Amino acid sequence: MVGAGPSSLAAAVYTAREDIETLLLEKSVIGGLAAITDKVDNYPGFSQGIEGLKLAEQLQAQAERFGAKIDFAEVLGVSDEGEYRIVKTDGGDIKTRAVLIATGSDYKKIGVPGEAEYYGKGVHYCATCDGAFYRDKRLVVIGGGNSAVQEALFLTRFATHIDLLVRSSIKASEVLQHDLQAAVDKGKITVHLETHTGEIVAENGRVTKVTGTKDGVKTEFMTDGVFIFVGLLPNTHFLEGSGVDLDEVGLIKTDEKLRTSLPGVFASGDVRSGATMQIASAVGEGATAALNIREFLENKKPTLYS
Amino acid sequence: MAKNITVYTTNTCAYCAMVKRYLDTKGHAYKVVNLDEYPDQRQKVIEMSGAQTVPVTVIENAGSDAPNITVGWNPGKLAAALAA
Repeated sequence: MVGAGPSSLAAAVYTAREDIETLLLEKSVIGGLAAITDKVDNYPGFSQGIEGLKLAEQLQAQAERFGAKIDFAEVLGVSDEGEYRIVKTDGGDIKTRAVLIATGSDYKKIGVPGEAEYYGKGVHYCATCDGAFYRDKRLVVIGGGNSAVQEALFLTRFATHIDLLVRSSIKASEVLQHDLQAAVDKGKITVHLETHTGEIVAENGRVTKVTGTKDGVKTEFMTDGVFIFVGLLPNTHFLEGSGVDLDEVGLIKTDEKLRTSLPGVFASGDVRSGATMQIASAVGEGATAALNIREFLENKKPTLYS
Repeated sequence: MAKNITVYTTNTCAYCAMVKRYLDTKGHAYKVVNLDEYPDQRQKVIEMSGAQTVPVTVIENAGSDAPNITVGWNPGKLAAALAA
């Protein structure tokens, strides 16, 4: 399984529990984006919500309890060699009968000057990791979707004030918009709609302001740091030339059994074209993929007389 | 060579869990400094690492003055630092 986010961890619970030898390869963080999310409020079964990191730890422990193995490795490619699939990694090739790709997505960069230069030094993509460095400071958060609003709300624990820069309009869920309004009413967050980010500016190596434009007029936001949540980029670059078909935005195309265009290679979760980008859906797809993988392996299993 | 390893973390940092897991799997003992519990250490981490992020892993080799500092979850860099 490529990736160790909620989808493949859920799949691993099913496959490992059925004694299918299961290896998950993760290059970043076990639990994926869920693990770096402050609070998951809409995952069924947790009436008060659950911290993303705790949910990830539970999923991991459950998969490992049934014997799934998780290794640190970056997958560089997948190919079909007839009876087997070859998964090429930075630690060598792995020969396997079936592959599940559940690599999810990463937060997109906005590509403005200063973003790359001050990454980790005033520019951040993980509020739960880096928010604590901004106690009693001012912050800018860029984005208007669920992640941006949720993480901006999380950051109000630390920051004195947050300017939320939104390119068009707020696209977060009603519940989050309600919470955002409460933070706006308390003076913790100011929302700037129709505001395009221009540059992240630093003085003496410290981020001091963000420039932007609204209605063609240049504006400036004084800040100590910037958190960016402007959408997701599918982790599928390693599939280039593999024969796994992608859609126009780079998500993996699958059929109703979550099979990709490459035999024996399945996909589930946020990386799949048509995914709803919800942890509950990713977990459900993981379970579906696991059952379809089992079926695929049973059909592949050599019989005594074959 | 004897190594003193310190991992600076926060309560909610998933990448910190990855660094600790990595060190566990490689059999290295380490000290954890949770910046949520010791906020006075925050400035020290910024000065050491030049960054406002965790995890920060500091590996000190006995007999060497300059510690090796890894910012973020970077298994390649950690492996090199542990092998040094």
